Amino acid sequence: MSTFGTLNTAVSGLLAMQRAMDTAGQNVVNATTPGYSRQRVELSSVGAPTSATFHTGAKVPVGGVQVDAVSRIRDAFLEATRAAAGGRQEALAARHDTLAGAQLLLSEPGTTGLQAGLDGFYAAWHELSLNPSDSAAGSVVIQKGQAVAEQLHAVGDGIAAGWASAFDRLSQTVDQANQAASDLASLNQKLLEGSSTGRSVNELLDRRDTLVRTLADLVGGQAVPGPDNQISVSVNGITIVHGSTAQTLTLTGAVEYGDAVTDPPAISWGGTDVPVDSGAAAGYLAALRTDLPNLGASVDGVAVALRDAVNAVHATGFTRSGAAGAAFFSGTGARDLAVVPASPADLAMTSAPGTINGAVALKIGDLALDVASSAALGGGIGASARWRDLTTALGTQVQSLGAAVTVQESVVNAADDAVNADSGVNLDEEMTSMMLFQRAYQASARVITTVDEMLDTLVNRTGTVGR
Amino acid sequence: MTSRITQSTVTTSALRGLQANLGRVQTLQEQLSSGRRIARASDDPAGTAASMILRTAQAADEQYQRNSDHAKGRLTVTDSALTGLSDRVRAVRELMVASNNGALNPDGRAALAAQVDAIRSEVIDLYNTTYLERPVFGGSVAGTQAVDPSSGTYVGNDVPIEARISADAVIRIDVKGTDAAADVLPAALSAVSASITAGGATAPDFTAIDSAFSTVQRALGDVGARAQRVETTNSLVESHRLDLVSRISENEDVDLPETIMNLQAQQVGYQAALGAAAKVLQTSLLEFLR
Repeated sequence: MSTFGTLNTAVSGLLAMQRAMDTAGQNVVNATTPGYSRQRVELSSVGAPTSATFHTGAKVPVGGVQVDAVSRIRDAFLEATRAAAGGRQEALAARHDTLAGAQLLLSEPGTTGLQAGLDGFYAAWHELSLNPSDSAAGSVVIQKGQAVAEQLHAVGDGIAAGWASAFDRLSQTVDQANQAASDLASLNQKLLEGSSTGRSVNELLDRRDTLVRTLADLVGGQAVPGPDNQISVSVNGITIVHGSTAQTLTLTGAVEYGDAVTDPPAISWGGTDVPVDSGAAAGYLAALRTDLPNLGASVDGVAVALRDAVNAVHATGFTRSGAAGAAFFSGTGARDLAVVPASPADLAMTSAPGTINGAVALKIGDLALDVASSAALGGGIGASARWRDLTTALGTQVQSLGAAVTVQESVVNAADDAVNADSGVNLDEEMTSMMLFQRAYQASARVITTVDEMLDTLVNRTGTVGR
Repeated sequence: MTSRITQSTVTTSALRGLQANLGRVQTLQEQLSSGRRIARASDDPAGTAASMILRTAQAADEQYQRNSDHAKGRLTVTDSALTGLSDRVRAVRELMVASNNGALNPDGRAALAAQVDAIRSEVIDLYNTTYLERPVFGGSVAGTQAVDPSSGTYVGNDVPIEARISADAVIRIDVKGTDAAADVLPAALSAVSASITAGGATAPDFTAIDSAFSTVQRALGDVGARAQRVETTNSLVESHRLDLVSRISENEDVDLPETIMNLQAQQVGYQAALGAAAKVLQTSLLEFLR
């Protein structure tokens, strides 16, 4: 055993403790960095002699400590759970936000919604029935009719605008997903190089996991780990990142609200539709493909029911000049409903030509009653009842989506806590480790001092004992 | 609960709790400041549907009340026209009795006949009474007169004029000209005037005048009964409307004492959470190391 061997042992301790202190420092400064995983120095003692040297046959003096690796603490399973939960959360939130925006268009219940507009319209007809020769009452009917038509335009146009903005967000989401996929592919390449050269790639791995999470949030990508720190991401079975190659997703189908029913928008890769069922993209797709077009169709249904019921009764009447009643409303849906009569003289409120009474106006006013409306439509559902149904249906949908978002939020929070508990930095723990490393460093230094003193005794004092 | 706790776990969970707490405070605050429990349909879909039905019924009731007011106005005008008619017919009958006196000279008879003629034109004016430019005895006649002033011919028709005064009641608000003797009285008065002028040879025809008088009396009774019905229905509609107002309020408005109590409780909870978070987040091993 060499005298200087102990010095080497002590030096290895100094180096190892420095490295450990380094790592603790890295942990402390990154305590709040998003996506950071705590790191730990894996130490091992330099073991017992394994073989004799060739020349002397003597046992090789071995001792000290070595740093095997700086390992990164992250559980892939917990991380995958968190990513999947996040994707579902984003899907629900995107759908909820889009529909909640559409709900504001209805402004029900209240005095400003379509319901109040319809009530006012029917009341104006009743007023005209009492006062059939008054052109002011006739003008009020026409104005209230126009007000109802404008309210329906506003709702219909609002739904179209909501569709357009959801579509913009979807295309942004797809762009971001493509960016994240290509970033992930190039990270895979770097990781492959890093792993083969044996460099520490911990920080790259953190960035990789963040990107995987981003992809899950955007398009519901699922990570499939491979060898050499490589990770593949697939969306419902269709691989979008594999090794250092990334596929580009594109949007196909309608780009305008008008085409949403005939050619619903979809996310596709190379001509194949990608069945996205998680991530913000899934939420926007659900709103764009079904929710908003259905809502628009229901609002059109209200407009058509109103048009048909009023026109049916109006056609049974006669104007003051004796002409048979023409259509009161024209148009094919909520967005183009229009009032036909331009002046009160065109209103067919009287029951027989050449007379003046308000019998037909009274009947149109009576359409405020659901029963009368339904009868005028030959048993169909009246405008007010349809409007009420769609308001309630949308309200229920927004409410249940809101509840689902809240539930999913707590799932995400729990998953976040689990990841954090595993990978997060605990400052108390790092402080304790730093104290430990500091003491160990001091002790190693003391070993050197002690050996130095021993050598001093040997070199300078040997033979002088007793002088 | 997780086994390993880190500073960021504590921070995020504290923040999460504070957020949730503050969110509830905000919801209550919003309800209190708007006074409404249902601001959007998603706040309470079933309540929204109920609210929309109640509001429609309320708007309809308001219109029924306006219709009732109109009906009452029109019936009142009709009633006073009929009362006027009844007075005129009675006056004519007195003139007829006075004329049935052999002592009258032609000048006296001419004076009486002139009075009858004056009454006839008053009667025609009464038949042409209008309400909001519509003749009350003319049915759905296109013009504004029920009886032609020059010829005294009835030009109205029997088409009923109706108004809806409640969800299930439509009431007739006019009197048929024939039910008020508009088709016979002007001619009968002409005949009376002629017979007075002619003198004792032909006695005035009391039968026609008496029958017209009783027709007008029947119409008066009928109008009175209908005005009564409008009144009764209107008070029912009014109480229904008030009931709706209170039900809408119950459905949509916040329960103030309860909401204020909830807000207080939430605020106390929020302050406690803030205090706890402040205490927990401050501590770290660093505080104790020297």
